Amino acid sequence: MDIIGQFPLFYFPEYGSAWMMGITGTIHILFSHTSVGAAMLFAFLAHKAYKENRSDYYPYMKKYGMFLLIFSYVLGSITGPGIWYTATAASPRGISALIHNFVWVWATEWVFFIYEVIGVFVLVYFMNRIDKKTHLQLTYTFAIASVGTLALIIGIISFMMWPGTDAYYVTGSASDAFFGINTFPHMFLRLGFMFMMSGVIGLVISSAMRKENAALSDELSKKMGYVSIIGGFVTLFFFIWYMGTLPDNAHDVFAFSKDSIIQNRIILTLVFMAYFAIAIIKPKLINPAIASSMIAVILIAGLWSGEKLRESMRKPYVAGQYIYSNQLISRDVPGKNIKSELPIVAEKGLLQVNPFVPEHLKSITDENRLEAGELLAKLACSNCHSLEPTGVFRPLKDKLVEMDKESVMAILYAIGEGAFSYMPTLKLPDTEYDAMAEYLASLKY
Amino acid sequence: MDASVLLALRDPAGVPFYPVVFQILYILTWALHIAFVLLSLGSLGLSLYGSSKGSSDRNWRILTPHLIQTGKISVSILIVLGVAPLLFTQVIYDPNWYVTNTLSGMWIFIFIYALIVGYSMYYWYYYANKAQKSSSTLIGLISFAILIFSGILMHNFTVISLMPNEWMSMYAPGGVVDTSGWVFSVDAIRLAFMVSLSIPVVGIFLQNYSQFLSTRKDFENSFIQYSANLGTKLAIIGLLISAVLFVLWMLKVGYLFHPISLVTIAGVVMLLVMSKMNNNSYYTTLILVVVALLISSVRELIRFDLMMDLGYNIYDYPVNLEIPTIVMFLATFLIMGFVGVAYLLTMAWKVGKNEGVFDGSKDALVSKLGQSTLYIMIAWIAIYFAWGIGILFSNIL
Repeated sequence: MDIIGQFPLFYFPEYGSAWMMGITGTIHILFSHTSVGAAMLFAFLAHKAYKENRSDYYPYMKKYGMFLLIFSYVLGSITGPGIWYTATAASPRGISALIHNFVWVWATEWVFFIYEVIGVFVLVYFMNRIDKKTHLQLTYTFAIASVGTLALIIGIISFMMWPGTDAYYVTGSASDAFFGINTFPHMFLRLGFMFMMSGVIGLVISSAMRKENAALSDELSKKMGYVSIIGGFVTLFFFIWYMGTLPDNAHDVFAFSKDSIIQNRIILTLVFMAYFAIAIIKPKLINPAIASSMIAVILIAGLWSGEKLRESMRKPYVAGQYIYSNQLISRDVPGKNIKSELPIVAEKGLLQVNPFVPEHLKSITDENRLEAGELLAKLACSNCHSLEPTGVFRPLKDKLVEMDKESVMAILYAIGEGAFSYMPTLKLPDTEYDAMAEYLASLKY
Repeated sequence: MDASVLLALRDPAGVPFYPVVFQILYILTWALHIAFVLLSLGSLGLSLYGSSKGSSDRNWRILTPHLIQTGKISVSILIVLGVAPLLFTQVIYDPNWYVTNTLSGMWIFIFIYALIVGYSMYYWYYYANKAQKSSSTLIGLISFAILIFSGILMHNFTVISLMPNEWMSMYAPGGVVDTSGWVFSVDAIRLAFMVSLSIPVVGIFLQNYSQFLSTRKDFENSFIQYSANLGTKLAIIGLLISAVLFVLWMLKVGYLFHPISLVTIAGVVMLLVMSKMNNNSYYTTLILVVVALLISSVRELIRFDLMMDLGYNIYDYPVNLEIPTIVMFLATFLIMGFVGVAYLLTMAWKVGKNEGVFDGSKDALVSKLGQSTLYIMIAWIAIYFAWGIGILFSNIL
């Protein structure tokens, strides 16, 4: 039987299913990055508190810790598996590829997570119940464990973009996949951002302490300003390096909105540099409302757009440049005995090889052409594009404006020939092109 | 479902180690995960009773906040422990896992956000109870309801994953493809059994709690005795309910006389006797862990047999051995994991036993474990970078 490992399709009308992962992922990044950054910050503050005998730092760390418990260890720890779940629903084979390549890396990260989760409760709740030296040692291990979680996940998400060399395809080794050319710049880019975020969140807490202790509030706000500015600089520096390690298809996508992205980043950099400078020079001007608003700005203007861009730049792939977003394996990976599925799809068609296509749609007839065309469009396009005439997420209505069936056909054929680097080279039998084009044209975008 | 389809749904990359290892790890880590699921539900549920009594009862005035705190920490731990079985199940049972996720995609999304709301409300409940607000019981009740709902959703995913013969009709009822992700199914007896276990778990926890606090002078003996008796009552009643539901579940799936089921029932009887006697609840807990492992094994046995009958044998999954990363996992798990967690738990235990500030720097065991953890972690980071740079150089240059 000529079938390939395609799963049922989950599609959220108007938006597509990928946005669910996007929302969950953006929330997770905010809180998980804050968590690692805060762990490093804790180590720094605990070190200073112990060496300089600054007992007044501990209440600040306690407050920060409680904040972390709620935001990072509720929102962050649920949205972590949450990304996994929602990504599985949206891109089952993409996640499956990552799992089957990196299961031991994830399992190793799990060990660090366990240390982190038990550690944060011990660190926060026992702050006043253990001696300072033991507490200091605990903060050091907590910081390293937190950085360890980054060190482990970064190779996996970097591989999602691409490994950068042919080694993985030849050997199939997880090490070659994990330590790709963008892994380390990506790691330090995120480390910088984490450090910056720890300062940004720290400013909410330090500014809220003004009533209790104005001098300490000012001192800590200044420190948070320095921490943020250093983190921001590291982020920018490694972002430039990271961009240089990306594949051509990523740059092709980037080129579409390069000017607006650069403009957006310049504005964000200026706004935040000014904000951090105020924290250093005039800490009194920072209050919890302003500091909280700046978190929202980072979430919406920085993270949401940044993550959308990173996801777009991976196109047409979802993992390792061998699985397309529409869940088809697009190349051989001899090291893992993986064969491209494109030849069989080109020969038999998507409907024939997908085991979850109902029997009556396996062959296209005059009666079922529109129904088959709709299913084909969903299978082939909906991971990246919403299909409805009122679609919101990268909608086809914007790409196929007022096109008739022949024009749509021409585009589908061009895609099948690999005319666009950011689209999957998906060649289909003529009957399937025809059904898909008829359906898309019938929507009258 | 046709065997050829199930086999085609396996990942073409194969599995990076022998499938039986993933199966064993799944059984082990699911048992750990469910232990904290049950403890969190049990302690939250019982705290609601305590909270509704207000501060008038001396015993509950102490017990309620402790139960809330226990449940709160347990939720965090159950989430992190839940990652492991999640990981191992999809390595060997990909058809079940990925089909379920796509068929139930909307519920997956709702599950995540329900859990976030439920757990956030739990913190609200914690603070409301601390401030002795009259609304705290209601907040706790809503949190409890949402967390139970999340549990039902998780149960739904398990049930769907065990219905391969229905997958096609779920996805395309009447031949019409439904991509909405709203597939939902419940197995009432199995669900009731799983939830019922939270009663004996919190009962045995209370026995441990009273035994742990019995050495503390700042807790009255009457309170210690009250907690122990309450724990015994809950453990006995809960075990009887769970035993009946377990038998009903096993009858339904036809596994009642399977050796693992019989051993599980024997384990429950042993737990009943030990809970009733309550000589040393730490030993009872050890038996509870064994029973949890047996229940986890029964679950796996049902799935394994079901898939075998359909022609899907996990042991035939093609293996592409992946040595460096399993070495990393084993070394991290066995060295850093055990030393690190031992460090944290030893410290927590000693702080709990101590009435004032615990000086860990003067405690030889805590100091040694702390220092070892730190050095192991530093070594881990150094090896990581050396390994990464080595790989990168050999692939680029």
